[in-house]
Amino acid sequence: MKIIVCVKQVLAANRIKFDVKTNTMVRAADNSYINPNDLFAIQIAAQLKERYGGTITAVTMGPSISEEVLLEAMALGVDRGMLLSDRRFAGADTLATSYVLGMGIRKLGDFDMVLCGTESTDSNTGQVGPQLAEEMDLPQVTGVEKIEKQGSMVRLERVSDGLREVMEVTPPVLLTISREAAYPGLPSLLDIQDAYVDIKLDCFTLDDLEADEQRVGLNGSGIWVTGLTQVPNKQKRCEFIKGGFRQQVQTLMEKLREKNLID
Amino acid sequence: MDLTLTLKQKAIRKMACQFAENELAPIAREIDAERRFPWEVIEKMGAVNFFGMQAPRKYGGAEVDSISYCIAVEELSRICAAIGLTVSVHNGVAVYPISVFANETQKKRFIPSLAAGEKIGGFCLTEPNAGSDANAIEATAIPDGDDYIVNANKIYVTNGGVADILLVFTSVVSEDVKGGMGVLIVERGTPGFTVGILEDNCGMRANPVTSIILNDCRIPKANLLGEEGQGFKIGMIALETGRIGIAAQAVGIAQGALDVSIKYAKERIQFKVPIARHQAIQMMLADMSISVEAARLLTYRAAHKKDKGESLSGPSSMAKLFAARTASHVASMGLQIHGGYGYSKEYPIERYFRDARVTEIYEGTNEIQQMVIARELMKTGS
Repeated sequence: MKIIVCVKQVLAANRIKFDVKTNTMVRAADNSYINPNDLFAIQIAAQLKERYGGTITAVTMGPSISEEVLLEAMALGVDRGMLLSDRRFAGADTLATSYVLGMGIRKLGDFDMVLCGTESTDSNTGQVGPQLAEEMDLPQVTGVEKIEKQGSMVRLERVSDGLREVMEVTPPVLLTISREAAYPGLPSLLDIQDAYVDIKLDCFTLDDLEADEQRVGLNGSGIWVTGLTQVPNKQKRCEFIKGGFRQQVQTLMEKLREKNLID
Repeated sequence: MDLTLTLKQKAIRKMACQFAENELAPIAREIDAERRFPWEVIEKMGAVNFFGMQAPRKYGGAEVDSISYCIAVEELSRICAAIGLTVSVHNGVAVYPISVFANETQKKRFIPSLAAGEKIGGFCLTEPNAGSDANAIEATAIPDGDDYIVNANKIYVTNGGVADILLVFTSVVSEDVKGGMGVLIVERGTPGFTVGILEDNCGMRANPVTSIILNDCRIPKANLLGEEGQGFKIGMIALETGRIGIAAQAVGIAQGALDVSIKYAKERIQFKVPIARHQAIQMMLADMSISVEAARLLTYRAAHKKDKGESLSGPSSMAKLFAARTASHVASMGLQIHGGYGYSKEYPIERYFRDARVTEIYEGTNEIQQMVIARELMKTGS
């Protein structure tokens, strides 16, 4: 079984640093992680490989620092990593991202399935999986919990609207993997040792992919982010009302009336 | 000179950090309060190779470099020093000397289960009348056919309550004459082997530190590590390496104390602003941070020297002493920042404060480290 897993580097939710001057997130090695939802796809890919044999290739688009997520994926059982990196890819929305991922995956030749997480934890659109399937003209099933090979078909299960759906599909296929599908563990020290000793990453630029410059980065995006500002933390304020009992009640009533909380 | 960590070392930090935050953070306070060894996480730690970090691959170890080893111990200790201690002692002074000094048969027999974390290692040198003065040990091993008859009263044995395989330091006695020191690999459960009382220690309370008593215990000669008379050398080499692990542990405690102090300083309001806005607190935090970084650099330097095969005794003693002092000092300053709350068990800083103190004592007191450093200076200094 030849499996491709799409992964994304995201900022760790508890370590986000925001530059108020430039209105951008600060990306650094110590606060960037593999998108937690992609871990489920990697785990399922590793399980499928164990059961049916084959290879797993992880694909990501991003700056060169994104190679770290490919290495992380390799410590979790992925065999090869493919980095799609070019300055012209910057500013891509999900549409432009899906196009580049599709162009990259085409370079890998035949495959059985492309697995994605359901969404990234930094932009939460959930669009890349489905858009990539459209881009590559593949059948797609989202939120998959269980995968079994049955002859030339693949049997899938997913839960939707409280109903368990069972379906069969002929590969090649694109699946997004539910968080219920697996329990992703951490790599062992030995896994990390092996993944980082013989690093096998394939790096592709826009020219290597023979991609259309008008369809990548900001040019290829349907959405342009024109501004980004930090939402101020809600401040809770505690106020002590002074004075005698009657005065306290009176002041309280006035304050509640001011806020239209009582008539 | 490149001081940046490799991608692999960064990945190991990430993994150890995630493990500690997911598995140890939720129980650290409780296992300290209850003096409970958390068996439920030990199996998980074994699965990710925390018990065979530097053991040879062919016996199931991960064979990571010494800086990676320090990083892992540091991250575990940052959250739970008692478990950092279990790992550091197991890897540093039990598995390591077996990996270096054991014969092939012994390695095959003992390392795989230790590296998998199925068995826990211990190191038994200290006795009631022999601590810093290791040569004063009174434990004896009398040769008798294919065995030694061993009598020993070992105290303050880290991991003692749970250790399965222990290195026991004894004097080999032939024809009533005390010979040199010998190290025996002793298995828990051998007739005559008793685990003594659980120490009611000030800190590191989740680690079952106990005494270990061997009473006419028959240990096969096949369990002798190295040769008769080599014991002191094995002990000193084990401690030289072990001290790097303790230094890493102390760096972890100091970092943990700094982390919780920064968090508290940002939350605690006095004089209408978070106390982190007061210059007095900022200066304390700055000093704490400088000490932590300096201790970390000394520790990684010692680890680097170990991997390069360079002389270790000076560098590892310097790292251990400085990191231990840093842990104590930083935890104390952190407690001061917390004020009255810091003195209560409501906040974790008091645990860091208690845990830090012993790093200045075990695996060689500060004063013993100074002796070692001074001895090196006399040898090499002009």
